[in-house]
Amino acid sequence: MEIDLFGSFQDDADKKGIVFYYSGTLSQNAIATMGDILKQRLDNSDAKGAGTKKLFSSFIEMVQNALHYSPLVPDSSFEKIGAVAVGKLDDHFYIFCGNLVDRKYISRITEKIEAVNNMSRDEVKQAYRTQLRNYHHSDDEVSKGAGLGLLTLARDSISPIEYSFKDVPGYDNEYSELHLKTIF
Amino acid sequence: MKDLYIARTSDSPEVDFKYSLNQLNITGEAFPEDANMFFYPLLVGLEEYLKKTDNQDVEFNFRLTYFNSASTKMLFNIFVLLNDSASSSNRVVLNWHYDEDDDTIKDFGQDVYEDFPSIDYNPVVTFLA
Repeated sequence: MEIDLFGSFQDDADKKGIVFYYSGTLSQNAIATMGDILKQRLDNSDAKGAGTKKLFSSFIEMVQNALHYSPLVPDSSFEKIGAVAVGKLDDHFYIFCGNLVDRKYISRITEKIEAVNNMSRDEVKQAYRTQLRNYHHSDDEVSKGAGLGLLTLARDSISPIEYSFKDVPGYDNEYSELHLKTIF
Repeated sequence: MKDLYIARTSDSPEVDFKYSLNQLNITGEAFPEDANMFFYPLLVGLEEYLKKTDNQDVEFNFRLTYFNSASTKMLFNIFVLLNDSASSSNRVVLNWHYDEDDDTIKDFGQDVYEDFPSIDYNPVVTFLA
């Protein structure tokens, strides 16, 4: 019976420690609402504390990043879509975030993430402070956050930022789906 | 100069700049869709106020519990203005409210303290819901 699908979906989500999952239209309203829900879920759990603030901070950075950089859905009106999941496994929270990216930015995104992943904790902190002082970042037409977003993720998470690019059937030459994972 | 008040929303802070009392307050969370657009009018107003103000005690009560990376950049610009004023014409005290467990806000306050020596930095451990 098809109604059983829901039960198996729930069992699967429970097994993977999913606390929160969303897939669909991305908008600032959706992000603010998700932020509220996530905060309530964390407040009600026993995980309250400094770690959950870092989780919330990275959640917002990741979904806002997805909103800012995603191209509009091909052949749609003015829609951007994405997916995000927050879960907890083995005492660590994780966040997955997925959104469309223009294929021409793949090498640039890869370079930026690799650069941050190769930094030590101190180097991340130093780079963060340097970026903050860098008033004249307007030569970069694509990046809106002056590189602070990725550095914020690196600062708050406990292991390197994982990423992969997935093909989008029918749009192989134009778009890929970027998947990011961070752990806290 | 007219005071500036902006009510809090789900993604932007309450801004209460009481220029008439030389008291500036910012409270809540800041992760608006476009941080530049949200903060730009604040910066313009603040700059104008500071230009017109001389030999005064300016108090800035900072009570943000979260700000995204784009807002961090704009907050930094606010401290640049305050520091410039403090090094030339006014006394500026920054009451930095933070929750004891909150390393992010605590560390950012420490950075502000180190980067803006003319501002009288006053950390206040508090409970911010």
